[in-house]
Amino acid sequence: MIKEIMHVLYRMKSFLRKPYNIILCFMLLFLGYLTLVPMVTMIFDTFTVHPAEAMRLKRPVGSFTAMHWVKVLFDPSSLSVFYKPLLNSLITSLGACLIALVLGGVFAWLVTRTNIRWKKTLSSFFIFPYIMPSWTLALAWYNVFKNSVVGGVPGTFTALTGLQTPNWFAYGAFPIALVTGIHYSPFAYIMIGGILRNMDANLEEAAMMLNTNRNRIMRKITIPMVLPAILSTFLLVFSSAMSSFAVPAFLGLPVRYQVLTTQLYRTLNGLNPGQGYCMAMIMILLGVSILAFNQRLTGTRKNYTTVTGKSSNISFINLKKMRTVISILMFLLIFFVSILPLFSFALESVLLLPGNYSAGNLTLQFWIGSAEQNSIANSEPGLLLNPALWKALFNSLKLSAICAITAGSLGFLCGYAIVRGRGTKLAVVVDNLAFFPYLMPSMAFGAIYLSMFSTRHGVLPSLYGSFFLLALIGTVKYMPFASRSGINSMLQLSNQIEEAGEILGVGWWKRMIRLIVPIQKTSFISGYLLPFISCMRELSLFVLLVTPANRVLTTLLFYYNEKGWSQYSNGINLMIVLIVLLINGVVNKATGASIDKGIGG
Amino acid sequence: MKKVCSIVSLLFILLPALVFAGGAKETSAVAPEKQMTHDELVAAAKAEGNLTIYTISSRTAKIGAAFEAKYGIKTSTTQLKDSEMVEKTSKEAAANLDAADIIFCQDGARVYPELILAGYVKNYVPSSQASLIAEKYQDPLVWEVCNKVFIYNNEKEGQTLTNVWQLTDPSWKGRVQMKDSFQEGINMNFFTMLTRDDWAKKLSDAYKDLYGKDLVLTTKNAGYEWIKMLYKNGLVLGKSDTTIAENIGAKGQPQQLVGLFTANKLRTAKDKNLSLAPSQNVKPFSGFFYPVYAFITSNAKSPNAAKLFLEFSMTSEGWAPFDTIGDYSPKADLKNSEDTISFDEWTKMLVFEDPQWCAENRAEVEEFISSII
Repeated sequence: MIKEIMHVLYRMKSFLRKPYNIILCFMLLFLGYLTLVPMVTMIFDTFTVHPAEAMRLKRPVGSFTAMHWVKVLFDPSSLSVFYKPLLNSLITSLGACLIALVLGGVFAWLVTRTNIRWKKTLSSFFIFPYIMPSWTLALAWYNVFKNSVVGGVPGTFTALTGLQTPNWFAYGAFPIALVTGIHYSPFAYIMIGGILRNMDANLEEAAMMLNTNRNRIMRKITIPMVLPAILSTFLLVFSSAMSSFAVPAFLGLPVRYQVLTTQLYRTLNGLNPGQGYCMAMIMILLGVSILAFNQRLTGTRKNYTTVTGKSSNISFINLKKMRTVISILMFLLIFFVSILPLFSFALESVLLLPGNYSAGNLTLQFWIGSAEQNSIANSEPGLLLNPALWKALFNSLKLSAICAITAGSLGFLCGYAIVRGRGTKLAVVVDNLAFFPYLMPSMAFGAIYLSMFSTRHGVLPSLYGSFFLLALIGTVKYMPFASRSGINSMLQLSNQIEEAGEILGVGWWKRMIRLIVPIQKTSFISGYLLPFISCMRELSLFVLLVTPANRVLTTLLFYYNEKGWSQYSNGINLMIVLIVLLINGVVNKATGASIDKGIGG
Repeated sequence: MKKVCSIVSLLFILLPALVFAGGAKETSAVAPEKQMTHDELVAAAKAEGNLTIYTISSRTAKIGAAFEAKYGIKTSTTQLKDSEMVEKTSKEAAANLDAADIIFCQDGARVYPELILAGYVKNYVPSSQASLIAEKYQDPLVWEVCNKVFIYNNEKEGQTLTNVWQLTDPSWKGRVQMKDSFQEGINMNFFTMLTRDDWAKKLSDAYKDLYGKDLVLTTKNAGYEWIKMLYKNGLVLGKSDTTIAENIGAKGQPQQLVGLFTANKLRTAKDKNLSLAPSQNVKPFSGFFYPVYAFITSNAKSPNAAKLFLEFSMTSEGWAPFDTIGDYSPKADLKNSEDTISFDEWTKMLVFEDPQWCAENRAEVEEFISSII
């Protein structure tokens, strides 16, 4: 008996002696509480009567009902309420995925593997669409291509050419998939480019020396090597596209093209919130199944740890005659998706009357005008004179910095522990938990945190209205970026490096600080940048949790946009993009890390 | 299965307990309130210090500034969307947090069950103002009424809309716009009101008036039928009333467009170079009226300041920022000086929101619209 206890104690001791186990245990508790509890709450929400529904059902609030599921899945109206939007969601998300992967993948390959011109410039401009809130791109599309269906001043395209755009081109599935795809293509570029950049080029060179032709190298070596990255990109983009709300809300509405998120928003905002939670559950289930699928595919062949140090001599493919042509084509593409929208934001913010581009209609009053001058926009002072804007800007920066640091550090630790503990059940569970928040639709996640933390919860006091709550939800929500990036880069780092330190008796802290972090410095810092950007442009996650004292830039932006004061919203948008670029630039100069340098390693 | 059963039974055991617990709290909260004189109220309000206001309109902050100047009580105003307001106020009140003291909210269909019946807000009519407000606007207190009217482009022709059934006619296909009613509850409440027997009757009479024959129903009643035919006739949904106003009013458009949006937009039409005019005397309605309700929250930490503020906002001094086209006070002494059409005249032309009817029936209308969209 005593022997057995000793044995158990010994095993526990040796278990806890490994730092990654301690990290995994901590993460299990931390993430379990912050992701599983909301999840369970949500499951209950699909079975209970909510205050908004009580009057209609004539049942007390909180009592059990299966009606929500029945209405969503088995009612005659389910077809238009749920199944058609579901189909539309799948179509647009797949379309967006393909566009993002092709655009981002091709661009990543061109930049890392060929001698295309202006690499640095192209690379830094290519990420612009990811920095802008996706719906502002949708807004730009709408402004340019809208046709007579919505009336009003003609779109820029019609004004210039006199041609009416067809409906399928201006609204609905096509522009939704395209805009979402463009928005996420930098993401694909970052992920795939990261792998390509750090992949050991010796493999390709070896094949080249054996006289393998380019196509075969591509098919047999390059693509299989980047396949895990392509799959994780697919997974991430697909789930993001599925849960993106603002783009379909903008571009789908004129032709009433419904997707799951627009239905979710309607039901959560309307009198059928229960049905909304059902839809959110289904969206999560979809995400989980893609995740499982992804793991099955990559899990069986994950041993690509061929990187022992960093490969340096990647030989570039010579594009020869095509070099200039391809470079110019890429430049044009980037001009249209990255630079033109910025110009349009700047221009729209100085128009007195939207849609009138004559010189006499230009004004700076929405930037520097006083409240009295701006009676046209309900007497809002110009942006630069608006104390609300400065406060929101400060809050946004503070929140994004905190979320980035906590999500980035925790995610990196997570990645380290998961890779070190690979194969154990604990690591698998934490891996999935850390990714789980990514699959939760932001709006529903925010709503659940609102009810979870508005009252005292065990040891936690009521956090509602506190800045801490915003930081907490942001950290949990953006950890997947950092943990994925951590896992990807740690997978490429051979265990031997740390083992060498271990044999020499170097302690864990020292090993981390002197070995792992320096080697992974770029990806470590890039792991901060992605949560930072996402946080800067996040809206739906925070919209329910923000109080006047901690209002952020995007809530202000959305408010102006809802009010239809396009000059202000375009102005704020421009500010967000410029601020993020500035910060990226500073970080890049100081550390060499950059968003476009990749989170893959 | 066993697990499911136990969870379900657990729910049944727990939930009534929760509900009753809530009920018990409500009754204990009702304490006899003694009437204060105005001076006592001012003194009590000043003693409380700060006042937090939640509102759906940015202009409430102006009342706040005037109030601050007059009484020296610091106000902080937060503007919220209709649904955020209900969500926030109810959760904050349930947790008894130090949050809003007074709220100005819209969307009766949600406010009625989720705030009023739930006991999170208290109805309060300042005694000095009560005699000037018709009784039907006193419980819940209608602080303000706003109108959304069929507004047309008057650049080339005058009002061509005289009967709402015209909007379902092929000749009007794609020429009508309104904000997506799922984005703003009051629009959905308007549709819900149309399905009530009295409005359905008026609609079927108007149909007969226009076409000389009876309406053939494919739905429950003429209200549903009109909604369905309006949507089927290419109703263009928009995101904001401001953009819809710009779309309708832009000059140089080939055909006349009509939008159902807030009459507020008429105010800036001239500055924005838009041709807009409100339709009047359309059969059986020219648009709708939606109330803005004012309440003191159950978790108010400055209830007296809230009372004083409410009273102040109902005097001509406090009301001033709202004396514009599109905003009307139900109080007899606060006449709208900008609009040529008075509150009473509008009342005859517009559909008025009944919060209880909307709370009970809107979900069905929402589902109906979801299914025809």
